[in-house]
Amino acid sequence: MTLSVSGLSAVRSGRTILHPTSLVIAPGARIGLVGLSGSGKSTLGHALIDDLRAQGRSVAHVPQSPDEALDPLRSMAFHWQEAEHALGLTPGSADQRGLFAALNIEGGDLSKRPWSWSRGMQQRFVIAMALIGTPDLIVLDEPTSALDPVVAAATMDLLDRHLDGRETAMMLITHDLGLAARRVFQLMVMHDGQLVEQAPTDDILLRPQTRAAQALVAHRNWMALPC
Amino acid sequence: MIMGLLGFVLRAAVVLSGTAALTFALLWNAPGDPAQAIAMARFDALLTEDVIDQVRAEAGLDISFWPAFTSWLVPLLSLDFGNSAVTGRPVWPDLVTAMSYTFPLALASLAVGLAVSLPLAVLAAKRPGSLVDRCAVAVASLGVAIPAYWLGLLLILLFAVKLAWLPAMGARTAAHAILPALTLGLGVTASFTRIIRSGILEARGQPFLPAIRRRGVSDRAIGRDHVAPHAAIPVVTVFGLELAFLLEGLVLVEVIFGRPGLGTFLVQAILARDFPHVQAVVVLTALIFVTVNLLIDGIYRVIEPRIGERDA
Amino acid sequence: MLRVNQVWVKRGAAVALQDISLSLEPGRTLAVVGESGAGKSTLIAAILGLLRPSHGEITWAGAPVRACRPALVMQEPRSAFNPVLSLRRSVMEPIVASGGTIPADRLCHLCDGLELPPDILDRRPTEVSIGQAQRVGILRALVASAPLVLFDEPLSALDAVTQKHTARLISDLQCEEGFAALIVTHDLGYAAAHGDEIAVLKSGRIEEIATPEQFVLTPKPGYCEQLRDAALALGALEAAA
Repeated sequence: MTLSVSGLSAVRSGRTILHPTSLVIAPGARIGLVGLSGSGKSTLGHALIDDLRAQGRSVAHVPQSPDEALDPLRSMAFHWQEAEHALGLTPGSADQRGLFAALNIEGGDLSKRPWSWSRGMQQRFVIAMALIGTPDLIVLDEPTSALDPVVAAATMDLLDRHLDGRETAMMLITHDLGLAARRVFQLMVMHDGQLVEQAPTDDILLRPQTRAAQALVAHRNWMALPC
Repeated sequence: MIMGLLGFVLRAAVVLSGTAALTFALLWNAPGDPAQAIAMARFDALLTEDVIDQVRAEAGLDISFWPAFTSWLVPLLSLDFGNSAVTGRPVWPDLVTAMSYTFPLALASLAVGLAVSLPLAVLAAKRPGSLVDRCAVAVASLGVAIPAYWLGLLLILLFAVKLAWLPAMGARTAAHAILPALTLGLGVTASFTRIIRSGILEARGQPFLPAIRRRGVSDRAIGRDHVAPHAAIPVVTVFGLELAFLLEGLVLVEVIFGRPGLGTFLVQAILARDFPHVQAVVVLTALIFVTVNLLIDGIYRVIEPRIGERDA
Repeated sequence: MLRVNQVWVKRGAAVALQDISLSLEPGRTLAVVGESGAGKSTLIAAILGLLRPSHGEITWAGAPVRACRPALVMQEPRSAFNPVLSLRRSVMEPIVASGGTIPADRLCHLCDGLELPPDILDRRPTEVSIGQAQRVGILRALVASAPLVLFDEPLSALDAVTQKHTARLISDLQCEEGFAALIVTHDLGYAAAHGDEIAVLKSGRIEEIATPEQFVLTPKPGYCEQLRDAALALGALEAAA
């Protein structure tokens, strides 16, 4: 089912940080929400999650770093059960084994607390947890920036493979157009709290319309190397 | 783990022997003639030189410092506190009787302190900066400023003299413990409230809480499962320190309310220069401290195992 | 020039760096990449003389590195500054301590190049964004004209566009002034674009030291190849068709 929100906005200490914004997200869509620091990407992401929740849709959120997702005093098993409970599922009913296999974390000891897992494993656990109950949308906010490149790339590949052919839509929030261009089919460009441009990825890469999109496109790679 | 325990035992041994040695040295070098004080306590009259010398010999005070110290320390190692210099009875049974009055009072005071401070702190932390919060902080600061002996007298005036609801002096019934427990408990309430409140506020700032809330976990469950354990860490620390305050307060409160117990036992012993009694109380107090710290260490390791790992 | 010669560093019982040898000429840039825990920050600490190698030696022009007063850009932008001092005090401290002064226009020029507002130095670390704090950290390292500058993840808190502008400024200044730059980063795109050489560190050892072209086109099989592929998969490097 198509997700749609309208008139999302946010004001913080008297300043509008998100101008009224409307979005439509098709099932199984892969969307990149890109923009510079302070452009309001994360604010839009949070507002989107809250609004869809209010509509009764299931939305999962993966923050930048596992430190922002896991309580260091609680075991992994506790987090998992807590997430199941929050979704109204009976404990143990989620396909933990399938999700763990999909994200390649079967080896993790659930009785341990987060910090005895590697950061890459922690982040994959958080993603697996986000996929409990097959949400309508999973929002990933800079999910790779706290990880080593090899681990980050593997994590994104595993997630891609898992979502392939499923109804779950994905929104990747990042400042890095180079990363988004590799991972999504549709881009939304934020600038100063406004959604200034949205189009298929290739269109934006080839013909960016706004200044914001042009800057991102021009700076998306460090260098293009001859092959 | 084993290394940690061994280290702990070593530290405890240093603390205990240091306390024992310091107390002995202080008492030995205090002004006045201990033999005379003991004799006065024993016979309750003015005495001749002969009697005092006899007491001196009996109490082992006619030798120099080092032999006296070792003759006291060696039996102590097997927890033999010796005999009272005044009554000549073994110290241990009297000490146990005193403890049987003091420990229930200490526990009751802790209970009073927690019963008042926990809800107050939770209420205050609910909306920091609100009127409730500011009142709680004000009450807490006031509580720190009021000394136990003054609060005790006020409570006696109000509940025992004016209203005549509660007994003031002695320890015959459980009702006798109410006013002392209130006095001590309200004293610790102040600092308990402040530390629990700031513990909760700090725990609420943990970076992972927004994500957990966004996962759909209820505020109630977040408070119970995530905020409370994080808030408990500083609270446990301060409870250990508060114990010092509690023991110090116990001495005052027992004297004010005329209750038997460790405090009264200690004050009488000091006045009479009853060396074995004083030392028994001091060593016991140090032992309690060391044990409580061991307990707190254990609690830490349960809440936050990384604390143990960092030590290793 | 910086010379690290067969250096071993132990941390407790663990060996943090094993047999590290590398050299860096004035005006050149060495990028050090590798996963967390590979020993990148340990290497910086050893070069600064904060950790003593158990074997081998580290010198600048034949003398201990400290003698050349190297500059450092620290990894955590906010904790790199004393929170109660203005950023200006923090920036000036090393220069004042050595009895020097900075021409005002150099400071302005650098602020400008780093896209920092002119009044930012009068604020405190908590009053600026983390990205601004990181660039003030770079400013502090560059302003003193040190012959050797060590950068520990200098762009981690910046967005993709600002990263490129900042990297450009550092390179341009390096061309003018000729300092040697050692850059620790996990961003292979940055390493490939701005390093004259890339050193790949894994578990305290150097896997490979290569030019960016070698690294991208013909990486050593194994970890170096994995790193290159990851950079492509994350869009940090683009293989032009």
